Order: sequence, then structure tokens, then C-alpha cells
Amino acid sequence: MKVEIVTVRDGEEAVVEFDYARRSEDERPMVLDVLLQAQATTMPDLAFRYGCRARNCGVCTIDVNGRPIIACRARAREGDRLSPMATLPAVADLVVRRDGIARQMRGRLQTAQGNDLNVEAPEEYHELTSCIECYACLNKCPMHMRNFEGGLPGDMDPADRPDPAEGYRWGNPFSLLKLQMIRLDPLTAESGREAALDNAIDLGLDACVGCPGCKCGVGIDLKGLVVKALVDAAGDRLPSPAEKALKRAS
Amino acid sequence: MKIEIEWQDYDVIVVGSGGSGGQAARAAADAGANVLSVSKDPVGASDTKISEGIATVRGSGAEDDTEDVLSENLKMAGGDLPVRAITDAFAKDSTSAYDRYRTQGLRPTIKEDGSGPEARPLPFGGHTRRRSVGHKNSGIAFGHANWNAIVQGNRVDYIEDAWFLDLVTEDVSNGSGPKKKIVGGLIYDAARGVLIAVRAPSVVIAAGGLSSLYFPNTDTMRGNTGDGYAIAARAGADLVDMEQVQFLPFCLASPPAYEGLCAGEPVMASYLGVLRDKNGKIILDSVFLRTRAECAAAILRAVEDGRGSPNGGAYLDMTANKELPLSGPYFQRFGETCLPSSYNTARQALGKKAAKFEEPWEVRPGAHYHMGGIRADANGASAGGEGDGDAAHGIAGLFTAGGAMGGVFGANRLGSTSLTEGAVFGGRSGQAAAAHARETWGRNRDAAFQPAIDQVNRRFGQKGTLAAATLKLELQQEAWKNIGPVRTAEKLDRMDGLIAECTARLDEVAIPAYGMWNQAFIEFQELRNLLDCAKAVADAARERDGSLGGHVRFDRKTISAFSKPYSTVVRLNDDGWQVARLERERTPMKRLISYKVEDTKRKIQLKWLRMLPKGVKDRKLLARYQAIMGKGAVEKVSAPAISIGSAEAATGESTRA
Ligand SMILES: Cc1cc2nc3c(=O)[nH]c(=O)nc-3n(C[C@H](O)[C@H](O)[C@H](O)COP(=O)(O)OP(=O)(O)OC[C@H]3O[C@@H](n4cnc5c(N)ncnc54)[C@H](O)[C@@H]3O)c2cc1C
Ligand code: SF4
Ligand code: SF4
Ligand code: FES
Repeated sequence: MKVEIVTVRDGEEAVVEFDYARRSEDERPMVLDVLLQAQATTMPDLAFRYGCRARNCGVCTIDVNGRPIIACRARAREGDRLSPMATLPAVADLVVRRDGIARQMRGRLQTAQGNDLNVEAPEEYHELTSCIECYACLNKCPMHMRNFEGGLPGDMDPADRPDPAEGYRWGNPFSLLKLQMIRLDPLTAESGREAALDNAIDLGLDACVGCPGCKCGVGIDLKGLVVKALVDAAGDRLPSPAEKALKRAS
Repeated sequence: MKIEIEWQDYDVIVVGSGGSGGQAARAAADAGANVLSVSKDPVGASDTKISEGIATVRGSGAEDDTEDVLSENLKMAGGDLPVRAITDAFAKDSTSAYDRYRTQGLRPTIKEDGSGPEARPLPFGGHTRRRSVGHKNSGIAFGHANWNAIVQGNRVDYIEDAWFLDLVTEDVSNGSGPKKKIVGGLIYDAARGVLIAVRAPSVVIAAGGLSSLYFPNTDTMRGNTGDGYAIAARAGADLVDMEQVQFLPFCLASPPAYEGLCAGEPVMASYLGVLRDKNGKIILDSVFLRTRAECAAAILRAVEDGRGSPNGGAYLDMTANKELPLSGPYFQRFGETCLPSSYNTARQALGKKAAKFEEPWEVRPGAHYHMGGIRADANGASAGGEGDGDAAHGIAGLFTAGGAMGGVFGANRLGSTSLTEGAVFGGRSGQAAAAHARETWGRNRDAAFQPAIDQVNRRFGQKGTLAAATLKLELQQEAWKNIGPVRTAEKLDRMDGLIAECTARLDEVAIPAYGMWNQAFIEFQELRNLLDCAKAVADAARERDGSLGGHVRFDRKTISAFSKPYSTVVRLNDDGWQVARLERERTPMKRLISYKVEDTKRKIQLKWLRMLPKGVKDRKLLARYQAIMGKGAVEKVSAPAISIGSAEAATGESTRA
């Protein structure tokens, strides 16, 4: 099975063709199996992230044919093109720099808490803890794209890109999910709930108004459980869809 | 090539951002220290995050679960190798350390009376009491809590994609205290392509285990390359019980993409589960009362005798539980919920019939956890000297916690204790590291860093014909064969030869001359650490001249629980690797005997149960399941949580729109 792997070394991009040798006739390898075989055979220095091989750690996300997939649990197919996630700056081969996302949450995770730890969390809370932080949801998120002048990091001159070490200015579905978790946590005091909403608005929640919505790599209902919940809570602190359309038109 | 170097100052460096690192960083910061958390994986992505998420919380399931009962349980299960002060600390702090996790967002199911977290229905993996608390979304829920602990800030700075390379120490010349002290560490920040020299009086090593020493694949993170052990040993620290590697017996043997992933635990086999060889012959009964090591050894004996399954394992046959008309449905429910994340993996890999327990599962052992590690006291401070040792004979300023720490579990780890281990000793080591930093800090010691920096600069741009990744794979395969789940004197000798050969080839590895994410350098560094670990494991394994716990010798007898217990200790000094024994205190004979009697009694009872006529057996089991799980257990529909593994709408799983 032939695939193309986009590699970046010391700033130089190249496309390498790799021919995967199936280990049994009926093997349907995952994308990660292909990368592991490439590393074990012809490309020993290939850089890519992986950890658990079981869709738990969330680090192996790459783009296949331009769409983010979780490499350890997505089947590879003839002719696939494997490249680094386009939504974050590439560092080497299939590795992207991830930390601009988490860093934007510094100072936003504090919650004033009640004393009683023995309170049952609502079901929605647990649905959100199934997020593995794979960042597949950054794909086509207009809020996240604000960090890169409305486009992708690859469209910008590296020198003009925002510094991930500072944490990105604008948010994304994952960061909103973390904030919504704080709001759903029964231990969070009212002030903590309000602060989380303020933070969501500060990160650009207005981008969600009228947005067709985000897709989660593991199937969390982001639109319903996260975006709608936050947008509803923000109420008229956000422009209405009509106002937004008007603004865009002008 | 000289790569750019940055200098930074902190009170405490914490290496690793898994459960133990997260808790250590938080505890040190809360005690007033300025902390740098460094990890080679993205923050929080660790064994902790991918675990089953079941934690030992004393008193959560049984009222008579005292500190003494738990401490003794740990010590005896560990073949008396654990240090009593350390198991006492574990027992003392297990509840409060777990509660600290809860303040960071971990939310268990709460008991109906609101008194605390709900424990699982059965005592897990060798526990004498019910004290294992499970969590929705398994380890991922712990991952979120750790992430919160670090990312929030509040005196914790963090860098990810950054490999901690080596400790920097200085000799101390004052009389009776430690002979060496920590002055900092050197880090390769791959994402920015720079070296960071951090001046710090305290370093907590929370870098996890060494399962990646072995191939075929394991259920652990790829980053388990034993960096922490190797780094500590190179700085002169003692490592204890290094031969004690825990192999999970029931990892998947196929298909390749699932190979090595955990499919279940002995407890899951329930009352009637057995292990069979390829001819259908029973090679181990009463599986659910056995330790992981016993099950793994049974499988490997069959494999060595040529009676193994096609993919080098055996068959875990749980069908007898399922066949019974009344109790069968209860077993099904038990099997699904006992270890939900493993069950899910098995279901995906093995298909529907296996998921209904209507056919046996092909399983084989896989490296999972390392009981041995950096020798420490009950606060995680590096320890040395005779017997249990003390910090006065260790390296001042060096601390450890979690998988990296030794002395907690000895020869065998009870189920679900490791997440708690991280919380307990993460908390303790973090506080101790902060206190140490307050006491000691002073002048500039930059010169001490130079040798380590020079060494790195020499490697970048090294000319050669070999690839570290390829050597690594060779080493992993040989380690599995020779210092893996089955060992003999001959295998150990062969391993020594291989280690020497591979070490000599390190200078022939090609490493390009650029700083930014140099994968070849990363592989090289991990290979170097794996080699040191392989040596430590091999030396300890030779010193341990009989089977005990995770150390299985096919050419020697089993070491009796009644003989005088000892731990192995290895250290690296100017004369090379040294190995010795440390005396351990044996549990009083009376307690040992009563423990053995209990164990035998349980196994005999089970044998009886198996021999009963089907109908009687079924009714007896029904009563047992109902007592454990409640009468309505089979009607209760499971919560529709989005399980990692469910297919619905998971856009990351298909490569076509
Ligand atoms: C599949 C699976 C299921 C499990 N289930 C359970 C369970 O249910 N209950 C239980 O108690 N235990 C369980 N365990 C065991 C438990 O998860 C681990 O033992 C525990 O989480 C180890 O925690 P840790 O913080 O010590 O190390 P880890 O969580 O492994 O973290 C290690 C950290 O160190 C970093 N690191 C390593 N080397 C370096 C370096 N050189 N430089 C910088 N950073 C470095 C890594 O990036 C990572 O952040 C399970 C393990 C696995 C694999
Ligand atoms: S919300 Fe979903 S897609 Fe986004 S990071 Fe979490 S798991 Fe991945
Ligand atoms: S709904 Fe909001 S978070 Fe989701 S993609 Fe649109 S802008 Fe991004
Ligand atoms: S390797 Fe962990 S999610 Fe893919």
C-alpha cells in the first residue's frame, strides 16, 4: 500500500512515498502502523507523535488528505497523503507545536470551590472529560483562525506568527470545553462559573454565533454541550446572528 | 555543533507531567517554591492519562480498612521487599492524596449516603479489602485533573516537548551528610531547538517507567524509556529492585494495531475463568485469584514448550461463566464494567463473539509497570546506605515519585495502587523538594554544567552510519527475549554481551547538525537511557537467584515467602555498575502463615464450586453476583457516556469525509 508522507527537516519540506508491507493479507493497518513501519525500515529519523496506540493520549493527530485524524485509530488507505495538522505550526515532519493552545488557559482555570467534595457531578460533566485533547476540533474553527489573520499558520510568514509560548490570543473548541467543565462542576462556586464565562467571551466566543459548529475527533457533542451552553449563558453579551451578518456586510 | 543555550533559575524542577509529576509540581508550588515542570510529551499525556483510572482509596469500600491493614497488604503482596515506612506512608496518605486530585476536578461516583467515593464491587488485584475506586472515562479523567494542576500557573511554569537529559551535581565534603548534591539539570527543548540549563537545588524525577525497554509492544506510552532511572543512576543514585518488571498477562496478541494493549486483568476472569494452551488443555485455573506474574508465567511456560497460541500466547477462556443461564448475564455485565477501557479495546480487536465471552480470547503478556526504581525514603528523597536506607546517604536535593520511585511495591504491585502512589509520593516529594530548596541555595555553580553541555554539543552533528531508532528496536527485541518475562542465567549472559555491543555502537549513530526537533538526537538519547536500564535490570536479575514476583527464572526455584527477604540494589560509580543486596524485614511468621492459609482456602473453595453440578453452581453464583452487584444489575442500562472507542460521530477515525 503506497502513501505519501510530508516531511519537514530543518525547515525544508519534502514529500516521500512510502510503500507499506502488509503483515498479513487481510491486515487493515491504522495510519500509525504505517508511520511505525516507515520508522522501523526506510525512515528511521521520521518525526511523529504517538503515545498509547489506543486513542487515549490524544497526541498522534495528523492530517490525512487534509483532514485531522487520530492516527492510531484511523485506517490507512492506498494513496493517502499524510501531513502535519495544518491548524498548528509545523515543527518537524508530522510534529506540530501544540502548546499555544494549553498556554492560553493559564490563569483561567482557577475556581473558587465549595468544601464538600462528595457531590455527584452531572452526566454532561463526564461527557466532557472524555476529551483526549487531540485538537482535531481546531479544523476550520473561525475563532482559532483569528490567531493567524483568519487563515492557517502555514499561510503566514513564520516571523509574523504569534508566539505559542505566550499562549494564543483567541480560543478554540477545546478551550471552551475546559471552561464549560468548570461551569458544570458542582464544586465550582458561582463566582468561578461567571469567571469561566467571562473567559470564554474574552477568548472570542462571539465567533461561535452563526458558526456552523465544530466537530470533535472522538465524538463529543461540542455544538450542544459546549458552544450552545456557553452562547446561551452569554445571552446579549454577544452580538445576535443578525447583528453579526450586518457587521460582516458593512 | 554548539546549540544555543539558555539559563534559567527555579527552586524545584519536576521531570514528568503525569500523575506523580503533576501532583509534585502542585505540592511544591503550594509550599511556596517556584517550579518548572518539564515533560517530553505534551503536558499531561502520560501513562496516567491512558490508565484504567482505578485508584486505591483506603476505607472507600470496607469499614475495617485501617492504615495497618493496607500497609501490611502492600508489604506482603510485594514479597516483603517494600520498605515499611514507605507502605505506611502510602496507607496514611491514600485518602487525602486522592482528595487533592478531587480539588483539581476528578469526580468519582459518590456513595448513595454521600459519605465518599464508591468502591468497585470486588477487591481488585490482590487487595484484601474493597478499596478500588473507578472513574468515568478512565485515566483521561485523571489526565484532565493533572493538566489543570500544571497549566493553571500559580508558581508552576511548564515546558513540553522537552527532554530532560541529565542531572548536574556537585560533590559535598562535609562529614556525615550526603556526598553529592543537586545543582540543576540540562534540558533539550526540541520544539524551540535550544538547550536549557536550569539552576535548581531540588529536582523531582517523576518520569515514569521503562516498559518501552521491551518489544513486542506494550500497553504503555512510547515514552516509557526509563529516562528517570538512567538519569538518576548516572548521577550516582541507588536503584532498587530493578529486576522487578511487571508484565500484564492478558494483553492482546493480534491484530497488529492492537497488539500489546491490555485486554483485562485476572479479576475479570471471574469465578470460572481459566487459561488454556493451544490444545485446549487448562494451564491455570482459579485465574481470578492469581497474581499477574503467576498468569504471565503460566502463559510463557506453554509458549516455551511449544504449546502456545499462533501469536505467541495462550487462551483466556471465560466461557464457563457466560454459559450459565441465571448467573451468565450478571457475569456479562461484570466483564463489561470491571475494566471498561480494556473491555472496549478487546471488543474492538476481537469481535462480537469474544465480547459476549462466547469464545476464548487469545492473550499474551506485555510489559506494563516497573516496581523497582530510584531508591528513596518515605518522602521520596533519594536514599542510600544499609537496609531501608536514609536520605543522609542519598543525593541531596534529588527526589522521586510514582513509577520512577522504588521501594513501594517490591516484587508485586496490587491492582489500582499506582495512581495513588503518584498522588501520595507526588505530594510528599513536592513538599520535601520545596523545603529543601528553602534551606539550601546560594552561589552560582555554572561551571558544574559544562561537562554535560559539552557532551550534548559533541553529539549534535555526529557522523555515522547507524540509526538510533533501528538500534533501539533491536535492543527492545533482545530485552524481551533475555530480560523479559522469562529469564535464565544463559539469557542474562547473552544480554550483557548485547548491551556491550550496542553501547559500543553509540558513537556510530548519525545525528544531523541542527537544533530544531532533532529526532535522531531524541532517539539517541532514549537509546542511551534504555541501555543503562537494560544493564541495571540484567545485573539485578542475576543477583536475584530465584523466581520472585515479577522476576521469573525458568532455571531456578521459586524463592519461599518464609526465607529471609532481600532487595537488590544497583548503582553506577567510577568502577562501573555495582550490585548488592539489602536486608528486608520479614512479616511475622504467624501473619505469613495465616495469609497463606486464607489464600489456599479461597482456592480450594473455588475448586469445589467449579465441580458442583451446573444448576447448583449457577444458583450459587447468581447469589454471589447479586450480593456484589445488586439484584438489578443486569437491567440497569449503562450510562450513555461517550466512551473512547464508540464509533458514533468520531470524525477522527475515518480518513474520508
Ligand atoms: C493501560 C494502563 C492502565 C493502567 N491502569 C491503572 C489503573 O487502573 N490504576 C492504577 O493505579 N494504575 C494503572 N496503571 C499504571 C499507572 O497508570 C502508572 O503507573 C502511573 O500513571 C505512572 O505515573 P507517573 O506519573 O509516575 O508516570 P507517567 O504517568 O508515565 O508520566 C511520565 C511523565 O514523564 C515524562 N518523561 C519521561 N521521561 C522524560 C524525560 N527524559 N524528560 C522529560 N519528561 C520525561 C513523560 O512525558 C510523562 O509526562 C495503568 C497503566 C497503563 C499503561
Ligand atoms: S474536544 Fe474532541 S476534538 Fe477537541 S481536543 Fe477534545 S477530544 Fe479532541
Ligand atoms: S462554534 Fe465556535 S468553537 Fe466551534 S468551530 Fe465555530 S467558532 Fe470555533
Ligand atoms: S497514540 Fe495515543 S491517541 Fe493515538
